[in-house]
Amino acid sequence: MSYYFTILSPSDAPLFNIAFGTSKSGGDGIARFRFPDSAQYMNQFVIHSSLDIVEEAQWMNGNMYLKHIDTYPPAAAYISAFLTPSGTRFLLLHQPPQPPSTSSTGGSSLLSSSFSGASSSRASSSSVAANPTSPQTEEAVRQFMNEVYENYVKTIMSPFYRQGMEIRSPVFRTKVTAAGRKWL
Amino acid sequence: MVVYSFYIFDRHAECIYKRRWLPRPTSISGKASRPTSEIPSSSNGVPPVFGQSDRTTDDDAKLIFGTVFSLRNMVRKLGGEDDSFVSYNTSQYKLHYYETPTNIKFVMLTDVKSPSMRVALQQIYINLFVEYGVLDSYPR
Amino acid sequence: MSTTKASRIGEELWKTRVDKINAELVTLTYGTIVAQLCQDYDSDYNEVNKQLDKMGYNIGMRLIEDFLAKSNVGRCANFRETADMIAKVGFKIFLNISPTVTNWTSDNNQFSLIFEENPLADFVELPDDGRAQDELWFSNIFCGVLRGALEMVQMQIEAHFVSDVLRGDDTTEMRVSLVRYIEDEMPPEEE
Repeated sequence: MSYYFTILSPSDAPLFNIAFGTSKSGGDGIARFRFPDSAQYMNQFVIHSSLDIVEEAQWMNGNMYLKHIDTYPPAAAYISAFLTPSGTRFLLLHQPPQPPSTSSTGGSSLLSSSFSGASSSRASSSSVAANPTSPQTEEAVRQFMNEVYENYVKTIMSPFYRQGMEIRSPVFRTKVTAAGRKWL
Repeated sequence: MVVYSFYIFDRHAECIYKRRWLPRPTSISGKASRPTSEIPSSSNGVPPVFGQSDRTTDDDAKLIFGTVFSLRNMVRKLGGEDDSFVSYNTSQYKLHYYETPTNIKFVMLTDVKSPSMRVALQQIYINLFVEYGVLDSYPR
Repeated sequence: MSTTKASRIGEELWKTRVDKINAELVTLTYGTIVAQLCQDYDSDYNEVNKQLDKMGYNIGMRLIEDFLAKSNVGRCANFRETADMIAKVGFKIFLNISPTVTNWTSDNNQFSLIFEENPLADFVELPDDGRAQDELWFSNIFCGVLRGALEMVQMQIEAHFVSDVLRGDDTTEMRVSLVRYIEDEMPPEEE
């Protein structure tokens, strides 16, 4: 599973981006997207295209964690969203690894964790990695979002951080990486 | 108990507060509101009659400061650096003295029968001076 | 007075005599001040350090009275005792921290305060302009506070930070040196 995580300001300015891969079940934490390396911007396209849905979904209930809200089938990209009370958006794109031969592109067609390891490539045997819409995955993403949120709050409390500024803190990046390693 | 006057001196030896409560002329004989008679070098020779003299209150403050300053230094020489005098009596009045570690000096003159005012002076420092004089707006 | 006695006084005062306020309010207020200074002085961090020290000095001159009023302690017998008093009582009652006193010189005129925690610096990350890490002493106000406070009790000192975890150092350390004891001020000469 590969992940692309973005924080967007309420006015849609990107504040933070990071790409990483799963660390569960032997994953090496390196992102391997289905897009060629030269087309990483596709991740950003996909994420931003889900913003309309986020804006609809945010009024449906009072939760900060909106769970899986959008799918982009051509790239098997799943988007989960988290909203801070001040309207900052945390968006996580997850993309299961391309099965080497089979054509089960849609993640939903995969069975749950323990059965899915058979043919797929690295890091696919854990529940989190294998099925982007399973309850386990939702839960793991929620944990991840919460941990990032906590660190995000601490980071923007820094007196030298100005609202709406890109988050360049290396500490924050480390913390997000750690949260990714821990939960995803 | 009668309080005649009260002074505060800051660490620059400046009188930053003074207040006198003049005794009624009908009070005990020849009571002065100011400590005049103990200053031996007092050359003006004005007797301490009912708080009237040709000295100004400024002069009073200076005399008081000089007195406590010298007395305190002598006391330290005799009793060691940590020693300090608490009060002294004359036949006319009693002078109470309290100095903070920051060299703020509180001086109060009362009648001779007054009990020790040290605690009162300390409370004036802690509850009034610090609160209204320092944390509020320290004169500088 | 021994270190442990000072610690006990500090504990006691903290529990009984001190009004508490929200720590984040302090942290954010101070952080904002520093950030504003950095902006006002166009990131001239040496100047910012200087300003913080000056602000601290003015605070220290007043704070010492509050400290004495609250603690009711007398004069310290020597500079070692002063150091304990600062660390175990002063920092304790105003910030609820007790920096470690260490690294004395043999003449007992210089020591270090090691701050294991520093409420002023919570959440803080220095600007990544490549200079702040080397030039800005974020908590420099402390130096001024000590200078101002000790000056009022007849000690002229010099204080500066030598390391700060915000800069990536292992510790936050302030060096304090006694310059001299100040003589009593005499009243101005009579005319």
